[in-house]
Amino acid sequence: MSRILVESPSYPYCPGCTHTTAAVAIARALEAAGTDPLDVVVVTDIGCCGIIDPLLACHTVHGLHGRAVALGMGIRLGIEDPRKRVVVIQGDGGATIGLQHLLEASRLNVDMTVIVLNNMVYGMTGGQASGLSAREVREMRGMGDGAVPPYDLCSLAHAAGAAYSARVLATGDLQARLSAALAVRGLSLVEAVGICHAYGIASREDLERLAAPETVLVRDREPYSMSRRELPSLLDGAIRPRPSPEWASLPGTRLGVVIAGSAGEGVQIAAELLASAGIAIGLRSTKKGEYPITVGKGFSTAEVILSSDRIEYSAIERPDVVIVTSKEGMDAARGMLGNAAALVLDDGLEVPGGFTGTCMSAPFRKAAGAKGAALCALAYWLAESGVMPLEALEEVAGPHRHAVELRRAIESSRTCAGNIL
Amino acid sequence: MAHPAAGGGDLVSADGSMLVIEALARAGADAFVGYPITPTNLIFSHANARFPLFRSSTDEISAAQTMSGLSAAGKLPVTGTSFPGFALMLETVNMAFMMELPMVIVLGQRMGPSTGSATTGAQGDLLLLRGAISGGYALPVLCPSNPEDCWTLAAEAAKVAVSLRTPVVLLTSKEMLMTRWTVDLSALPEVRRVEWPAYDGDGPYVPYRAGEGLVPPFLPTCDGSHRTRFNASTHDETGLIRKASPGAIANTERLWRKVRERAGEFAFLDLDARDGASTLIVSYGMTAGAARVAAARLGKAGRPTSLLVLKTLLPLPQEALDAISRYDRVVVAEENLTGLLREMLHGTVGREGVTGVNAIGRMVSPDDIIKEVRR
Repeated sequence: MSRILVESPSYPYCPGCTHTTAAVAIARALEAAGTDPLDVVVVTDIGCCGIIDPLLACHTVHGLHGRAVALGMGIRLGIEDPRKRVVVIQGDGGATIGLQHLLEASRLNVDMTVIVLNNMVYGMTGGQASGLSAREVREMRGMGDGAVPPYDLCSLAHAAGAAYSARVLATGDLQARLSAALAVRGLSLVEAVGICHAYGIASREDLERLAAPETVLVRDREPYSMSRRELPSLLDGAIRPRPSPEWASLPGTRLGVVIAGSAGEGVQIAAELLASAGIAIGLRSTKKGEYPITVGKGFSTAEVILSSDRIEYSAIERPDVVIVTSKEGMDAARGMLGNAAALVLDDGLEVPGGFTGTCMSAPFRKAAGAKGAALCALAYWLAESGVMPLEALEEVAGPHRHAVELRRAIESSRTCAGNIL
Repeated sequence: MAHPAAGGGDLVSADGSMLVIEALARAGADAFVGYPITPTNLIFSHANARFPLFRSSTDEISAAQTMSGLSAAGKLPVTGTSFPGFALMLETVNMAFMMELPMVIVLGQRMGPSTGSATTGAQGDLLLLRGAISGGYALPVLCPSNPEDCWTLAAEAAKVAVSLRTPVVLLTSKEMLMTRWTVDLSALPEVRRVEWPAYDGDGPYVPYRAGEGLVPPFLPTCDGSHRTRFNASTHDETGLIRKASPGAIANTERLWRKVRERAGEFAFLDLDARDGASTLIVSYGMTAGAARVAAARLGKAGRPTSLLVLKTLLPLPQEALDAISRYDRVVVAEENLTGLLREMLHGTVGREGVTGVNAIGRMVSPDDIIKEVRR
């Protein structure tokens, strides 16, 4: 049988420490399961539990404090051969740091074995008690919160969906529990409650008296695997407006269009259609958006540049037109009005004082509804200014999943009676 | 790269995120793990539509750890995040640097401090990256200055990650990732799958024994022929903890040397040195666009001005440092308040003749830069 332990191992642990017992039990359980050393990776945390690597003749990965379960999960998901084993070892400190990782690995039922060597103290930093320490140990170590019960790690993992969760005394039948855990397909957890002569529980009697009861909880579930997908190039689905010679624009064209309205009212879609239509009439375009974190409340503004030349700078320095369809939009766009050449307004809005450019007003919200107002107003301005035929805008709206509504909004602009103010 | 006149080529309307993800996928990045965060929302959704392996994680620490596991198993993982998420990942980025695990982190900058303003762009994370690895070791950082760079530098990031066995940051920002650009696909260079520096000897395999290239040949964990060891604690070439032994110190020094000594393999920049120019504009990322416009306008107005756009920010290319030292007057334009690149170049003491153009909450404009050059 292949040996999991190296030849003549030099155990790094204090005399009487059950980490030595656990190291031997882990190796024996793997050997009993017929595991070749090159078919298992042991992933360890920081702490006394994590200095086991030199004892092991198998693959080892020594990571950070508290993260070994998440690291082990990545390894499990990355190894394509299901016969390979992933074994994670951490202590009680690491288990509380990384509790979310254990819950997530349990929820997914990732096929690996997690061994928590719970000696109820932080052995490397002076013996502070942990969230897995018995109340008496918390009091003994001066944590001052002995009234608070420890986490029941096995119940938590079980509740989250782990296939197998067991708590066992490290002085007891640890190897049998490890063997049972290794036989499970899915997430198996073995919490081995042990002795730390330096700081923690020092006798078998105290361990038996203070440790939470031994338990085995099982759940029959399929383990998770990250399925490998073959997906097409994103460029296949990219928006690719076909330039049409009949719509060709004049060389030297450069236009900056600002659309300002309310979030959820189609401002960004209208701007994206304009950017695509710009390509269809032989120009280059950029479209950038500004909005709060909410997608259905507050302002929404977009800046579209159309240019015969390459666009290096995607913000508009001097807008040729600012299109405003709501009060929120007006408030957001006010700063851009100062040097704008033209303003297109919903007729429910007032022309801001001091604006000296050309101003057009029409009932866009009435004609197209709130959700169609921005696109309706944009189409209205395109037709009035002669920048592009509305057919170009309709064409690029075609592949959109809301094409019907978008075309209706564009169409409604033809019936909008506007005023030059 | 040639930019054909409008109307030619294969023009698409695409956001920067799409170009980044597609290029990474073509370069061989095969796994995406992340927690969605603005402004890398599109990085997340495009990756879900493209990558062979995809996981939405519970948080950024889990994401970075799962990525590390995937990397140790021979995958090339990618994530997208912004400062709040990157801050959580930082310890794991150090782990991956120490373990020498390839991965690409797309860092979309947004205005801080703290949560700041999620949907407002910024360039505020450069010095964080400069100090990201405890000890000041160099984490390679590439920074796209336009949509074409999103494509080429994403592919280069994958290449550097694998060839140097290190995490690489693709430093970008909201406006680059979320703005729709017109891109001529026919002008984008072909992206080749990156080659792994894999071990093919007869053994015994010594996990962190590196040859002249300073990068140890890679074997995935659970390899069927040789035992592997990965270690985040100070280790020697065996991959076992060795505290501050000579072998461990030598291995740790190698981590610094491999990035410094091979920096020439990924020193990307655009230098447009104009005859008669006394001033050099230096910029990077989104602000590079304003800098290009400013330099062109100044030139047209009879004031030739040179322009340096940095695309590799860490380590700073020697060619960039040499160029900067040749000009008495240097204007560094970046979208932050305090001049992070300026500080990285000349420290808190600064250098006479080097000034900044800075803004927060809005993009730096060409006029801002022109005003400073003419001042």
